[in-house]
Amino acid sequence: MNINATLLAQAIVMIVFVAICWRYIYPPILSVMQEREKKISDGLEAAKKADDSLEEAQLAFNQELDKAKAESAELIDKANQRASQIVNDAKSKAQDEAEKILLAASKTIENETNQAKEELKSKMSEIIIDTTQKILDEEISSEKHDDLLKKAAAEL
Amino acid sequence: MAKELTTQSYIDHHLTNLTCGKTPDGWSCDPHSIDQMGFWSFHVDSLFWSVFLGAVFIFVFKWAMPKNVDASAPPTGLQNFVEMSIEFVEDNVQSLFGTTKNKLIAPLALTVFVWILLMNLMDLVPVDFIPELAKSVGIEYFKVVPTTDPNITLGMALAVFVLTIYYSITVKGLKAFVAELTLHPFGKWLIPVNFILEMVNFIAKPISLGLRLFGNLYAGEMIFILIALMLFFSSIPVGILGFGLHLVWALFHILIVALQAFIFMALTIAYLAMAHETEEH
Repeated sequence: MNINATLLAQAIVMIVFVAICWRYIYPPILSVMQEREKKISDGLEAAKKADDSLEEAQLAFNQELDKAKAESAELIDKANQRASQIVNDAKSKAQDEAEKILLAASKTIENETNQAKEELKSKMSEIIIDTTQKILDEEISSEKHDDLLKKAAAEL
Repeated sequence: MAKELTTQSYIDHHLTNLTCGKTPDGWSCDPHSIDQMGFWSFHVDSLFWSVFLGAVFIFVFKWAMPKNVDASAPPTGLQNFVEMSIEFVEDNVQSLFGTTKNKLIAPLALTVFVWILLMNLMDLVPVDFIPELAKSVGIEYFKVVPTTDPNITLGMALAVFVLTIYYSITVKGLKAFVAELTLHPFGKWLIPVNFILEMVNFIAKPISLGLRLFGNLYAGEMIFILIALMLFFSSIPVGILGFGLHLVWALFHILIVALQAFIFMALTIAYLAMAHETEEH
């Protein structure tokens, strides 16, 4: 173990290597690492922001959804009301109509009955007149008389 | 080289560096003239591995993160490893240093950690692999683990020490720095005593920093060499035992390798943090 100029040479060599490392090796590696670190932290921050805005959007979406649901419920309610109203209207109208038709029909029937009665009256009187004439015109036996009467009765 | 292989020569061989230095006859790389070399000699093997592994570190970290890499794409493979290393270092710097405007600390810590880790890891290459390869191409001595060379560890500690002084002066100002070294712990009437005490404290830091790493790795290497001796110089049962021991020690040594690299890094950061602190008294 003898100390000699190797010591000085090694000290100089070390200073040279340290200088090379300090100047050319260390900074580029460190800068890449720092750049990546920054990118990652930026990315995380962006992700957090996106998360937040997603949450916000979700909230807004839910609000909108609730509003839309309420609106649609209201609409359906209204529509239902309207529909039942229409049905009721239609029902009452139909009933009115039916009553009217019934009324008209019964009137017509009455009229026709009356007419028929009138006709019958007039025809009967005609027949009576006719028969009476025939009875009067012909000499009639009591048999014939009965016959005639029977005929008239059958015709009636 | 022709001498008989004994345990002594085997260990000596493993503990001798490939040295080039200034002898009285001029510059030489002859292993036999190592004793004549003075201070101006270099452990070529240690420096080679140190520079080579440093270059591996630089290359791998450059290659893992090409210029046009997409920052938003998930990192893959080597890039993951590199980013993990940086994150590890950043965490440590953050905890020891707090938030700092000093942009040199983290790269310094990263370099120190990865580089020392790589150098320590050379300890896990079986002790004879690379020296024998070197021998086959004619290099007699070739130590593989740079951190078992005190010159390497103390050299790095020296660089840290220089940086500590530099930042002490530039951050605190020369006056505050000198005051820190002379006005504690006894106040201004005992400046020489203060200075001696503080100087011991101040200089002990880099020396302990360097010697701690050296001592741990040197001891680890020593044990690997001794275990290798069991394989080569004993009976077969002992050899088999040595094989098992080698495995166990290598597994345990992984811990030391990483731990010592981490300790060196942590202390480097801590010393530099101290250089930035202004005293509160």
